[in-house]
Amino acid sequence: MLEIRWHSRAGQGAVTGAKGLADVISTTGKHVQAFAFYGSAKRGAAMTAYNRVDEKPILNHEKYMEPDYVFVIDPALVYTSDVTINGKEDTKYIITTHLTTEELVAAQPKLEGKEVYTVDCITIANETIGRAIPNTPMLGAFMKISGMYDIEFFKESMQRVLKKLPQKIVDGNMLAIQRAYDEVK
Amino acid sequence: MENNGWNEFEIGAMLRTFDGAIEDIAGTRQEDRNYTQNSSFTASVADWRLEKPVFNKDYCIDCQFCWVYCPDISIISRDKKVIGVDMDHCKGCGICVEVCPTNPKSLLMFSEQTDEESAIAGWPTKEDKEK
Amino acid sequence: MAFDKLELNETEVWDGNHAAAQALRQAQVDVVSAYPITPSTAIVEGYAKFKSDNLVEGEFVMVESEHAAMSGCIGAAAAGGRVATATASQGLALMAETLYQASGMRLPIVLNIVNRALAAPLNVNCDHSDMYMVRDSGWIQFDAFNPQEAYDLNLIAFKVAEDHDVRLPVVVNQDGFLTSHTAQGIHPLSDDDAYNFVGEYKPMNDMLDFENPVTHGVQTEEDWHFEHKARQHSDTMNIVPGKIDEVFAEFEKLSGRKYSQLECYNMDDADVAVVCMGTSVETAREVALEMREKGIKAGVVGIRVLRPFPFANIAEVLKDIKAVAALDRSAPGGAAGALFNEIAGALFNTDSKMLLSGYIYGLGGRDLTKKHLVDLYTELQANADAGKLLTQQQQFIGVRGPKLAFL
Ligand code: SF4
Ligand code: SF4
Repeated sequence: MLEIRWHSRAGQGAVTGAKGLADVISTTGKHVQAFAFYGSAKRGAAMTAYNRVDEKPILNHEKYMEPDYVFVIDPALVYTSDVTINGKEDTKYIITTHLTTEELVAAQPKLEGKEVYTVDCITIANETIGRAIPNTPMLGAFMKISGMYDIEFFKESMQRVLKKLPQKIVDGNMLAIQRAYDEVK
Repeated sequence: MENNGWNEFEIGAMLRTFDGAIEDIAGTRQEDRNYTQNSSFTASVADWRLEKPVFNKDYCIDCQFCWVYCPDISIISRDKKVIGVDMDHCKGCGICVEVCPTNPKSLLMFSEQTDEESAIAGWPTKEDKEK
Repeated sequence: MAFDKLELNETEVWDGNHAAAQALRQAQVDVVSAYPITPSTAIVEGYAKFKSDNLVEGEFVMVESEHAAMSGCIGAAAAGGRVATATASQGLALMAETLYQASGMRLPIVLNIVNRALAAPLNVNCDHSDMYMVRDSGWIQFDAFNPQEAYDLNLIAFKVAEDHDVRLPVVVNQDGFLTSHTAQGIHPLSDDDAYNFVGEYKPMNDMLDFENPVTHGVQTEEDWHFEHKARQHSDTMNIVPGKIDEVFAEFEKLSGRKYSQLECYNMDDADVAVVCMGTSVETAREVALEMREKGIKAGVVGIRVLRPFPFANIAEVLKDIKAVAALDRSAPGGAAGALFNEIAGALFNTDSKMLLSGYIYGLGGRDLTKKHLVDLYTELQANADAGKLLTQQQQFIGVRGPKLAFL
């Protein structure tokens, strides 16, 4: 079982990102689950979304999760919420920031000794999609770190998931995915 | 209505108005319609009356007010002419008398035991309007 | 037909709400009369979207309250159409009066309840208070444990409800957020297969049949009310279970997915068992398998059909189990939990030696973790080993503060 926790603000697209990822993975025959904690989430409130992936049907519906990956798609959340909660020894963190990994770990000591990767999804999204929607670039970074799928296959799949959006936005998303894939460190 | 058991009626809080299908309902007079026992047409409320309306066609101008206002559809009108009162369904409320505009009125309330002939024989005459 | 069809993939990643909305589309529901409430809104919104995209031929009626929503459904169903809506929590509470009208009038409406806690305190998350609130309202009640089942049970619901020997409204429950907003892989039927399974709507005593005029919603008073309610109960007890089994079997033939009024997992040789509803059934199944690796013969019973309650089936399944936990996701308000009571009732007057304990859990969306269930099975095994209850009959799972136990 592969488990992922997303840290986001309501409106940044974590739920869409989690569902999009689930959609792509499901086409390869694996079983998926994507859900989120909403509460009375207003736009801008901190929230978490989740993915589970397994070879066999997923029966577990508990909200509790010890994630294999933590995605942080808003740069402030690494300071204002505990992104390491219920983490395992080998949990991998992919965090949106303009800082380098070293600078980030120095700024947030909780990340010390953890496997941390950084990528500036906000800037990438602004420059490619034209809006600060950092969900798809995060998935590009995840493809690089996890090696889950070939990036071309992943981009093709995401084109299908996003097909209802205007072509310009879809193209922007493809650039964003590729840039995050290339830039994550 | 028969006191059928729980297993002896159609389901739902639902009642049929007619036995079998009815085609030209608007063109079929009440007395020619095949009402079921469930329809209030087959139930009489005559014994609810303390007084009854008597119709006097001599003064009637066929304005149909009584027909429109009767809450129990008990004024019988044919070709826009009132011909009498349906005594099975009239409950004696007197609304028809109240709305009748003629002077004297063409409908008046009498005790149940008054016969129609003597009611009409003793019909009041025109009243002068108060000035 | 005047509307377009959708080509669906063999596997679609849908959440429970979208799955239910797709089922309403495929059943070609004639009228949805609805008022939005979290977490159920996406179901009726989905239908409205399908309608505006010309994917369904029907009417979407926006009304001013849930009371009006169900009233609109009742009118449309009495008029002679296939009708559905969705609600939750307070919305269902406001709808409650009209639910009794719908069942008493024997109108085959399908209502999706996306289970959510009842205020106060205000809470949008899952528990089964709303489901329990209307359990005696005369509706057939199904429960989905995941999004696939929310889809399947909606199709099944129309077929059961509209059967002329049944003619009762059906609730399809699914867990708020845990199912309604959780996307999972779903295998939908094709539009044609789904519609052919549900079948053409077969009118019965519809008000729009002008040649056979009927009066719906009559007044009866003391002389007839009891007979009507007796007839309804008799049909629910004697006819509905058989019809449900028939439709389940037909659905299995079509989809390969098997449903039962009671879903039993690892029960054949079980010593201890958990009886519950909603997504908890699946989490418990996973934990039961893990308990078996530790040597505890654990099983799970999920209540698929809450009404009519599968009284005889549950007695049969549980009679030889040593210790059973009834999990109720609703504050019992000064009584044992509802499932505890139903199970106790089913096993009373039998010679079963089963030990039964009740647990209140998950109120307002409180997580039921695998750890909770491991502890629960361990406690049941201790009861089984001791041959008697080592705890009081009612306990709370996952609540902060000093331990609570009653009865
Ligand atoms: S007395 Fe009342 S019920 Fe009788 S005919 Fe007149 S209006 Fe109708
Ligand atoms: S209201 Fe009087 S005048 Fe008019 S139709 Fe009736 S009886 Fe005749």
